Amino acid sequence: MATTTTSVPRRRRPARPDAQRSALGPGHRTLPRALGFAALLALAALWLLPLLWGLVTALKSEAQAASLPVRWFPQAGGFTLDSFRTVLTSSNLPLWLLNSVLVAVVVTAVTVLISAMAAYGFSRTVFRGREWLYALTIAAIMVPPQILIVPLFRQMLSLGLVDTYWGIILPQLVAPAMVFVLKGFFDGIPVELEEAARMDGAGAFRVFWQIVMPLSRSVLAAVSIFVFISAWNNFLWPFIVVNDPDLMTMPVGLATVKNAFGVTFAADMAGATIAALPLLVIFMLFQRQIIRGVATTGLGGQ
Amino acid sequence: MTGKWSGRRGAGGAQRTPLPAGAPGASRRGVLRGGLAAGLLAPLAGCGSVADLGGGGPDGTTVRFWNLFSGADGAKLSTMIDAVQQEVPGLGIDATVLAWGSPYYTKLAMSSAGGRAPEMAVLHLSRLAGYAPGGLLDPWDLDLLAEFGVTEQDFPAAAWQRAQHDGQLYAVPMDTHPFILFYNRDVAGRAGLLGPDGELLPLTSPEAFLDAGRAMAAATGATGVAYGYQVDTGQALRLFLSFYGQLAGELDLSGDTVGIDRAAAEEVVDFAHRMLDGEIADPTASYPAALSTFNAGRAGMILSGEWELPGFQEAGFPLGATPFPALFGRPRGYADSHSFVLPHQDVVDEDRRRATHRAAAGLLKQTLTWARAGHIPAYKPVLQEPGYAELEPQTSYASAAETAVYDPAAWFTGAGSTFQDQVSQALIRGFSGAASPRAAVDDVVERIDAMLRIPDPEA
Amino acid sequence: MSTAELSRPGTAPTGARGRPSRRAGLGSGFWFTAPFLVVFAGFLLWPVVYGVYLAFTGASLSGGGEGLIGFGNFGEALSDPLVWRTLLNTAVFTVASTVPLVVLPLVMALLVHLSLPGQWLWRLAFFAPYLLPVTVVSLLWVWILQPELGLLNDWLGAVGIGPVAWVQGEGSAMWSVVIATVWWTSGFNFLLYLAGLQNIPGYLYEAAALDGSGGWRTLRSITLPMLGRTTGIIVVLQVLASLKVFDQIYQMTSGGPDNATRSILLYVYDQGFSNYRLGYASAIANIFFLLVIVLSVAQLRLFNRREA
Repeated sequence: MATTTTSVPRRRRPARPDAQRSALGPGHRTLPRALGFAALLALAALWLLPLLWGLVTALKSEAQAASLPVRWFPQAGGFTLDSFRTVLTSSNLPLWLLNSVLVAVVVTAVTVLISAMAAYGFSRTVFRGREWLYALTIAAIMVPPQILIVPLFRQMLSLGLVDTYWGIILPQLVAPAMVFVLKGFFDGIPVELEEAARMDGAGAFRVFWQIVMPLSRSVLAAVSIFVFISAWNNFLWPFIVVNDPDLMTMPVGLATVKNAFGVTFAADMAGATIAALPLLVIFMLFQRQIIRGVATTGLGGQ
Repeated sequence: MTGKWSGRRGAGGAQRTPLPAGAPGASRRGVLRGGLAAGLLAPLAGCGSVADLGGGGPDGTTVRFWNLFSGADGAKLSTMIDAVQQEVPGLGIDATVLAWGSPYYTKLAMSSAGGRAPEMAVLHLSRLAGYAPGGLLDPWDLDLLAEFGVTEQDFPAAAWQRAQHDGQLYAVPMDTHPFILFYNRDVAGRAGLLGPDGELLPLTSPEAFLDAGRAMAAATGATGVAYGYQVDTGQALRLFLSFYGQLAGELDLSGDTVGIDRAAAEEVVDFAHRMLDGEIADPTASYPAALSTFNAGRAGMILSGEWELPGFQEAGFPLGATPFPALFGRPRGYADSHSFVLPHQDVVDEDRRRATHRAAAGLLKQTLTWARAGHIPAYKPVLQEPGYAELEPQTSYASAAETAVYDPAAWFTGAGSTFQDQVSQALIRGFSGAASPRAAVDDVVERIDAMLRIPDPEA
Repeated sequence: MSTAELSRPGTAPTGARGRPSRRAGLGSGFWFTAPFLVVFAGFLLWPVVYGVYLAFTGASLSGGGEGLIGFGNFGEALSDPLVWRTLLNTAVFTVASTVPLVVLPLVMALLVHLSLPGQWLWRLAFFAPYLLPVTVVSLLWVWILQPELGLLNDWLGAVGIGPVAWVQGEGSAMWSVVIATVWWTSGFNFLLYLAGLQNIPGYLYEAAALDGSGGWRTLRSITLPMLGRTTGIIVVLQVLASLKVFDQIYQMTSGGPDNATRSILLYVYDQGFSNYRLGYASAIANIFFLLVIVLSVAQLRLFNRREA
């Protein structure tokens, strides 16, 4: 795994010599570019169509959604927000979103903090068993958490944590891959800065908190983004440990709880749209940061 | 990774970062922010949900109620809940609908094992043996039920019997929903099968039934009997248990191997195969295909659960119904019952449990509404209400509740179980003729014995 | 956690020039790692050990069955046809999803890297699905693949194909899951490829241009070989991710029809929670775990050898 890290771009590339850097090489600017553009357009359309179809369905009435022939634009009555109204008033979706926010925020904050501390400990200090513990951490990256659902559930039963927020949160705090990514970063920070601070009389934790953490803002942001997306979209574990509909996170509630009135395509799509929106909006606002965060963290760990 | 980050940051940040002196004073904004965070994090301290923050959380008289009803059933249940809440001021019933079948039952068991289960849930009686012995359910308090006007005399014996475990009542039956025979009066009339009272003439032998099927096939120009069973996970078993019950009684799953009357079982499979000859009934029909065949008048009868009644009524032809035909002697027909159960809770709130008994009793008394969806109310006083006598064709099969055959009792059987699926798959091959009756029954026995070999996780 | 101890000067065992002093015992370094090690031990290491223990018991969801029963669960698992069936399904899904999840993202990244106008839009189009919760993906695709009202059958019908039963069909259900998965997660691999492309030094292209090398030749002789490492990483990550498939299968098909899409993790869930057999489910999970480890190590070896 360690070998994977170097493939991340070292520096932001100079902005301009775009055509030069094209994968097809220089010199082929007209015909291949036109063909490339067409292919890109087709592929992007293919990828966007499902999203649009979901949105269009959400904006129809149930009758329009279930009418044949299949139409993009409803014939009678036009688009309506009824399905959104139904979902927001008669389902628990707002509550599930709130639960998701709570869980994802706590998981992200705590995971990033303890992973950064651990990475710093592994990177900068020596204590008995350090290398051994770090090796164990790295080895644990190979353990797929999904295989632990049975023992973890049993464990949560004995801890009395089934159907609690802590039951959802605690197992998600373990992120050995993030420790690996952060340690790699800390290893590269020149140690002189810390020494200077220490000469000013700062203790180890203060050095970590006031020197190292601010210097690491970019990697911390990358790791936070990665952890947040995983926690926000996590399904399996919250699905296992929570049965109480009031405690469900959004992906679990949406998949588990049905409405009393049978199949409702438009309402399903309205719910899906609302559930998808928060992260999509954040993505549109912070595309550059999120893409960099996911790419670097994804390549460094997992 | 290291190169990238340190390369960029290291150069810019080489100067010493001065250490701020002292902790920042508690600003007003800080306090505010802290308060907000504390509010959001408060649920983390206890076992509640953020839903409880607004003060609208469950109090002593709110009964959280899980069920698996959607469609017509779901709408009826909502009406019943509204009625009970109006009738009993202060009683709240907070209903949650989960996906039917295995997902529902898995969640119910996990919730009970977790100890923070909802106050009340719906359970198929056929599933009771998978829940009560494992301690996943709490027993009902008969005195409390009696206080709210619900006693043993109010229920059919078959359902009440099935609701017991270890001498205690673990389920309050809500309905019986049998597998029955619906018929199209127009087709039956054209086939000459209606009596002077306008009802279907009694069919009392296999040959009589097959003849009636042929006559109806002639009348429709298509098939006589609609019966959907291909790729279905329960239909074949329902038919089998009905006729097997008439011939030989119940399968015995109490031993190491299944107790089965092979001759009777083979007779049932053979009969089903003779019925599915392409003339009387279509051997390729799936469940939805059979429904649409019957709705379109391309079959005169359908062997089906009564839960399909609302759909048939919508189709708009004159509809009749009888209990499952007793072709092999005594009247018997497959059935199941929805019931109310108390999922196990580690900490029981007495007020809330009392409210739960009251809610169950209240819902039972509203089951006339439930009957409109086709089900036979288990609470017999409802059957005496004038409103029930007007329900047609419900009244004509109400007696099926007394001759119900349930899934044989074992931890692995019941509605939506792998038992129903596995046995149905073996029977389908026999019914369609892909396997001989003997081979199909061998397969059934083999599959059940394999399930019996699995150690009972509740023992 | 005591910050007082952490900030006491002198406890940090780092000597001159940042070289850690060899004499250090459990210094502050340990306390830095302690919070992580607590959750690591409690919610990863212990469950792994406990899961192995459970596999040797008849443990049940409703309590009981604690006693050790030897290798019974493993014996049963190896002779359980559904274990083999679900392993096979998992393998089929892994192959069927990994191939398009490597090829399509590569194509996407190459095209986006042409630096055509609209970069923001292209990235949005390909990466946005990855940000959707899996439940949304499942709902969306079950709707698109709906046999009568679905968009896809409508289109196929227009060119004279179908109607296909998709999610309900024994032959098509797995493909439905694969299609949804490819659409959902291509964006992630696309980003990794994009990062890989940006990492190729510009001078290589300049040299190729001086040699008069054409576009396709440059692609074949420079771009693709330089992406070898990235492809290796993506294949390794993707195979591991696909093996662990559960969510979208549970939501779209529940493993049906007739087990056609039941993955091994779904079977673990069924046995453990639907059939209450926590012990047996643990045995199956451990067998699967072993396979994952063997496969991971094999893949890493292969990968490293190619690297060398």
